[in-house]
Amino acid sequence: MTDAATLATPPPAEWHPLPPRARSLFVLSHASVGLLFAIPVTSFVGGLQLAPPIVTAILAALLGAFAGAAIGVRRHRSIAWRLDEEGFALRRGRMWFRETRVPASRVQHLDLKHGPLERRWKLATLVIHTAGSKMSAVSVSGLDAVDAETLRDRLAHQLDHDDAL
Amino acid sequence: MTPSDPAPLQDAAAAGAAPAERRLHPWSWLFVLLQQLKQFVVPLVAAFFFGGDRNELWPLIGVGVLTFASVMQYVTYRYVVGRDALAIRSGWLHRQRREIPYARIHNVSVEQSLLHRVFGVAELRLESAGGQKPEAQMRVLRLDDALALERLVRHRGTAVQVEGVDAPAPDVLLSMSTGEVLRLGLISNRGLLVLLGAWAASVQFSPRLVENLFESWGKALFGWASDHHFGLQQYAIAAVTLALAFLLLMRLLSIAIALMQYHGFRLTEQARRLTVERGLLARFRSSASRRRLQAWTLHEGVLHRWFGRRSLHVDTAGGAAGEHGQKSRALREIAPIATPQACDALIEHLLPPGAGWSALEWRPLHPRTAWRLFLPATTFPLLLAAALYWHAGPIGLVALLLLPWSAFAAHRHARHAGYAINEGLVAVRGGWWARHWRFAELDKLQALRLTRGPLDRRWGMATLWLDTAGASATSTPLRIRHIPEAEARALLERLARTLASRRLRW
Repeated sequence: MTDAATLATPPPAEWHPLPPRARSLFVLSHASVGLLFAIPVTSFVGGLQLAPPIVTAILAALLGAFAGAAIGVRRHRSIAWRLDEEGFALRRGRMWFRETRVPASRVQHLDLKHGPLERRWKLATLVIHTAGSKMSAVSVSGLDAVDAETLRDRLAHQLDHDDAL
Repeated sequence: MTPSDPAPLQDAAAAGAAPAERRLHPWSWLFVLLQQLKQFVVPLVAAFFFGGDRNELWPLIGVGVLTFASVMQYVTYRYVVGRDALAIRSGWLHRQRREIPYARIHNVSVEQSLLHRVFGVAELRLESAGGQKPEAQMRVLRLDDALALERLVRHRGTAVQVEGVDAPAPDVLLSMSTGEVLRLGLISNRGLLVLLGAWAASVQFSPRLVENLFESWGKALFGWASDHHFGLQQYAIAAVTLALAFLLLMRLLSIAIALMQYHGFRLTEQARRLTVERGLLARFRSSASRRRLQAWTLHEGVLHRWFGRRSLHVDTAGGAAGEHGQKSRALREIAPIATPQACDALIEHLLPPGAGWSALEWRPLHPRTAWRLFLPATTFPLLLAAALYWHAGPIGLVALLLLPWSAFAAHRHARHAGYAINEGLVAVRGGWWARHWRFAELDKLQALRLTRGPLDRRWGMATLWLDTAGASATSTPLRIRHIPEAEARALLERLARTLASRRLRW
């Protein structure tokens, strides 16, 4: 890639983080996954007979939920999305970084989902479907509901100009 | 064929007469029934053998219900061959009517098992782009009806129909001689899978089968020693010969399977549609439009290399294996085996002109790729050594000898790996003993992803995943692994811009 080609591109659109109120959603969902992890830990540590089972269970549950919540906070902070004329881009993770690009010309259809908690906090999950296989559905949860609708409309607008399929 | 049969299909469609409703072949209920029985064969057999005296009638009632359902399916299934679409009406309690425009049908497959051939019928499947299930599965049609319908789809689908003139004879792109099929059998490991399956089944029914086999083999070899116990030497000889016999059996099985499946393999092209025909007893025929071809895989194992052959596969959109793991009938094998030159010629012919497959400039990966491959690979030897040390003492540390081996393997893998990209094509290659090349046209890419793990972060590497349609979960992913991060990022930007400016062409 030459420098000239880089300069020729218009200034990139900015990256948008998720709204701060989505943090609670991430904390809750990740903490519940952490709680699930506490079950095998409890049964394993419980077998060692170090403490009364109830103490082990409570400790494991607390630890699992806390670790999950911490991961949730970090993940929430690491997610950012961008929409430009090329398409949609999503960044996630710091240690395990990944950036996904869905070119606007490759969007097949879009789903907008609102769970009960998301509705309460005016958030939404956007699922972008492509004809691909591994990345056939790129899902972003915890988007601001208004942003999500704008994203859907703009990506769907691109779709109208496309006679794919 | 009875005189009361409707007019041949192609005439009816060409004459533009009011399209008549057609039915499947009168025997079709039998094949539907057999198909359903196949799914229930295990419970039925189990019920028959292990059910005891009380409920020996249950299987019969089950078969009766299934027969009734199959007959009802035959009675209610009608199809109309229209001008632009095929309309199918089916169902008895739950009725369904479906219109399938010919232009939407991407893969057509005609399948003829031995039983089908006895009855002169065939099973036809029509698949569209998306979807895990075929759009229509016509079980069964008269063979000439099935072929006529296939031809109809081919012409209507491509809109290059020349009235009155017979389409030119298809170009044969590849046809395998019996010698090639035998080679394919020698190379493939299908026999091993069959033997493994047989072994797994035998363990279920008689756990001592393998031991008994070993003993009787030994007795057959050293009959005079049957009274005494075997010495170490006899055991070794018996084990080695048994292993050799198994290898031989496996190869013979592989050859037999290859002959059954690939006898008379022919890849033809007509009106921009590819058709593959193959099979000795059961015949398969499947066709797909050329623009449906997605990502390609060229494979060369050790045995392939010894025989100077490679194999070439392609994903077709909508051709990935279904949710339930059943194999799609879509066209997948371009060349089960062929010489490297023939593979290259096929690729050059089937990719759009100017794709430049033979002139690709291969670029190496990040200089530290070998380390990057080696470090994660150390986990298993280290864990194994720790576990063995725990159980067997210091001798367990022998497992650490795996480490130099994996270092060597990582080095070799890194040396062969590489990627190439030009205006129209992106390709990756990898492997060491068994090599593979995977490539796709840029237009066929659907989504891009750049990933970077902790190790990559430390060494400034990244991996680029390129997603295409129709790739099965088990196939080699199209990814450019472990290249310098700046390079990966530049590639990501370049590809994103290219894809955005080009429309998706199916």
